Amino acid sequence: MSKKLAVIPEQCSGCSICELVCAIKHFGVNNPKKSAIRVLTTYPHPVMRMPIVCSQCKVAPCAQVCPVDALRRVDGVVQLIEKECISCYQCIEACPFGAIYAHEDCDLPIKCDMCGGDPECVKACPKGALKLIPEAALGESKRLNNALSYAQMKEIEFYEKGEKRIIHYAEIGKEEL
Amino acid sequence: MSIKSGYFKKQLHVDLTKGSAESRDLSDAFMEKYIGGRGFGAKLVWDNLKRHNFKIDPLAPENLLVIAPGPLTGAYLPSSGKNSFIAISPATGLYGDSSIGGSFGVELRQAGLDLLSITGRAQEMSVLFIDNGETTILTMPELKGRSCLEAEGMIKERLGTHAVHVAVIGVGGENMVKFACVNTDWGRNAGRTGIGAIMGSKNLKAIVVRGDKDLPVHDLNGLMAENDKACKYMKEHKYFKMWQQEGLMNVIEYANEKGILPAYNFKDSVFAKHDQINGATMLESYKIGDSACFSCPMCCSNICLVKHGKYTGTVVEGPEYESCAMLGSNLGIESFAAVLSANQLCDELGIDTISTGSVVAAIIEGYEKGILSLSDLDNREITWGDEDAILELMRKIAHREGIGDILAGGAYRIIERWPEMDKLVLHVKGLEQSAYDSRPSITMALAYATSDIGAHHARAWTIAREMEQGQSWSDEEKVDYVIYHQKLRPLFDMLGVCRLPWIELGLSELHYENFYKYVTGNEVTLEQLLELSNDIYDLTRIINTRLGASRKDDSLPYKVWANPPLTGPNAGRVIDREDFNRLLSLYYQKRGWNEDGIPPPEAGAKFED
Repeated sequence: MSKKLAVIPEQCSGCSICELVCAIKHFGVNNPKKSAIRVLTTYPHPVMRMPIVCSQCKVAPCAQVCPVDALRRVDGVVQLIEKECISCYQCIEACPFGAIYAHEDCDLPIKCDMCGGDPECVKACPKGALKLIPEAALGESKRLNNALSYAQMKEIEFYEKGEKRIIHYAEIGKEEL
Repeated sequence: MSIKSGYFKKQLHVDLTKGSAESRDLSDAFMEKYIGGRGFGAKLVWDNLKRHNFKIDPLAPENLLVIAPGPLTGAYLPSSGKNSFIAISPATGLYGDSSIGGSFGVELRQAGLDLLSITGRAQEMSVLFIDNGETTILTMPELKGRSCLEAEGMIKERLGTHAVHVAVIGVGGENMVKFACVNTDWGRNAGRTGIGAIMGSKNLKAIVVRGDKDLPVHDLNGLMAENDKACKYMKEHKYFKMWQQEGLMNVIEYANEKGILPAYNFKDSVFAKHDQINGATMLESYKIGDSACFSCPMCCSNICLVKHGKYTGTVVEGPEYESCAMLGSNLGIESFAAVLSANQLCDELGIDTISTGSVVAAIIEGYEKGILSLSDLDNREITWGDEDAILELMRKIAHREGIGDILAGGAYRIIERWPEMDKLVLHVKGLEQSAYDSRPSITMALAYATSDIGAHHARAWTIAREMEQGQSWSDEEKVDYVIYHQKLRPLFDMLGVCRLPWIELGLSELHYENFYKYVTGNEVTLEQLLELSNDIYDLTRIINTRLGASRKDDSLPYKVWANPPLTGPNAGRVIDREDFNRLLSLYYQKRGWNEDGIPPPEAGAKFED
């Protein structure tokens, strides 16, 4: 089953720990500017902290523009074949999310390889803003939240073993017009 | 014992009068002895004072401004984003420093610098741009009068990139308000001791940094293992989640319950409407996100937005406890939205929330007591909780309009103008007191009195422990506890890390011995590091005493002796002068200073090299 790296930006605190562990894993250096994931921070309009990381697209624009076919999708991950890459950086320009990075010290573009299936960033994120989830579950939380926002939420109070409890329920379509 | 890594060994010295920038090498001995942060700063400030025969006007071009992260800044360990600003303070005329979290210091390190020093005065409003170690001084007169955020936006536009970190002053700094701050990362301010005014006096609107170098680490595997241990401890702590959610805002409830929350210019130490400005209110209606310093799992900073009412659209990184107490309960403000608005205004104007809240509260009480007349207030009445008048007065401070011009001069200027205000302005050495009421805690009073920068809690924060278990402490235990804080807390600032994992979650300070060892390769014990930190405390004391300070300045605000809190658990309590003087003498004795608080003449020799 193919797993995807999902980002929950509202959970992100901008601590950059994901960047640090990525750089340490791939380059062995304490340098957040050598990571394949970066937290984009904007303020105050809009206030946003958004980790930008490769989506491992099935139809990958980076792979499509690569003139030497050095980006290939293998086991659900768009892999950079290092010995074939010529570092023209067309992939960086082509990625609609800006999720491939360059650094002066590095000969090749810095691209997420999902750490072979067990991403360090997911393990290190102290806020649970990065999750590894089955592909089929993508969008699940959005579906749920969206559905809930349509529903008329009501609540009933009741007592269970002497303790007050509240149950919320959705009364869909009963709204008075 | 030797430094093997952890530093770039580089200082950048900028002379704004000459428009020059010079890279200097740092010696191993210097790094070993002074570590970084305020250690570097105190040494450079001391050398500069000697060069000028101890006669430096803080706002003159020759006052050296030092910006110093530490060797651990940016390293993979909990909350390593700290950076210090050090100079002779315009508020106190003595040694001053202020530290920030966020990422500015990390970027400075990644630009290949351990230390930045700035002297002189630019002819026109300027911006210092350090791009991976290459320095440019940009002339940008168009930034004059711009708020911190506006200016940051304009600078980024001019440079054509957002991938920089900016330390910027607002109108408050330009107008040399004695408590002007330096704003970084939007909401992180080096708030205390008036560092912003020094940048203003130098015509330096902003320092912009970009850097992408590897941070030198001696043993990365060792560092990772130590970090894993520390993070595991923190994440398993029962209050870890609470810190992530509420951050420092949880202290409002605690302070109110314990009777140490400033209310109405410290007339009281509990606030009836505390539940309208506390963490729970913030979580329920205002918080929209977390904000962490670099590499910090605790993310104690909040992002708040006002969604309804007259302050709709106000968005702030913060508030934290100090800002919320000083701009809330201490001014009698009962609405969290109004607190946010005041905090945002301070951030935009570039003035310190603590000092601003303190001087405005003193003015309100001064008017209430008849010390100030309506015409003193430019015919605009001001009373507790009067949000419009308070916000207006803050603007006037930063712009130095009317009465604002006097307030902008800080505690000393206010007392000079209205001598009776000496009883109402809470300050030590000219620095307005931060938001912990010391009247029920004599160790906290001693901490404020002997803090090298004035009445701030950065050097020692002993109040919580004393209130929990200090009832039976002997004088000796009290003094020892203050001195231990004054060794350890500044060590965090020297290393370039945050003290909150230690003070709030109880993360053992021994981790920092290991962090230092893994980053620098220098095998020293915590005890040795604490001694180095203690040396810096001696050095800042030598600086202060050479500039005229002595026992008479290690005193407390009038209210702490004379006016007990009106209600709450500590109603009726004040600090007894005799008790205090006895502790102070013992404190001097333990530090090896004479009865007047002066270190022995030979103590300075240690810092001559």
